[in-house]
Amino acid sequence: MQTVSSPQLQEATQSLIDNLSASEAFIHFQQAYARFNTDSEARTLLEQLNQSQARMRQKQAKGTVNEAEVGSLRLLQQRVQRNAVIMEYAQSQQEAINFLREINSEISELLGVNFATFANHSTC
Amino acid sequence: MDDKVFDDIEIALPPVVKQAARDFAAAVAETPQFKAFEQVAERFRQDQTAQQALRAYQEKQTSWRALLMLNALSTEQRAELESLQGAFANQLVVQEYFKAQTEFATLCQTLGDAISESIDLNYAAACGVSCCG
Repeated sequence: MQTVSSPQLQEATQSLIDNLSASEAFIHFQQAYARFNTDSEARTLLEQLNQSQARMRQKQAKGTVNEAEVGSLRLLQQRVQRNAVIMEYAQSQQEAINFLREINSEISELLGVNFATFANHSTC
Repeated sequence: MDDKVFDDIEIALPPVVKQAARDFAAAVAETPQFKAFEQVAERFRQDQTAQQALRAYQEKQTSWRALLMLNALSTEQRAELESLQGAFANQLVVQEYFKAQTEFATLCQTLGDAISESIDLNYAAACGVSCCG
């Protein structure tokens, strides 16, 4: 944290990180993420789905999608939805995101500005 | 997850995490970057000339939105819009506001990055912030 000079701010930031990491939502998310990372079948399946969706978007843009490809993508989506490791990872990630949004609201309410907006790097 | 796993880990309950968030916000509020931003934002709000220049620019931008999207403004229209933008941006309080905003944003980005790295989630993206806020 190069631009952070105050020890109080460094301490408060570390305390927030420690507490967030020790929250139920984030412990669950980290454990589900670790299980997903060590499950090669789940990782391969999700990678296949991502690649297939990217191909589909390109073909949709060109108007060259055919029924067999749509069917193949649906099948892959069903396999992903039946995979317990992927689903637990996705669900726990959503729960962690929801909790993080609550935390951001607490911070933003006190500051009077949306902290996440200012923490965002990208600009239009 | 089974209860046994949670039994072995010390969990921070939501009220504790929220208190840590409020302590964090209080520490951010004490920074020179936040104080400078708050002060100049208030001066900007109170500055009638700057507010009028902003309104004039925004009103013209709104009325020509469709043309802007199509990149179909005439040379005269573009010059008028640029002139209104310049009249706004050249106000001293506006320049100070943008400078303070940038400095506060740099601080928030540093803090957000530190949080993101530790929790394996992009803080701003997870909170639903896009490039347009």
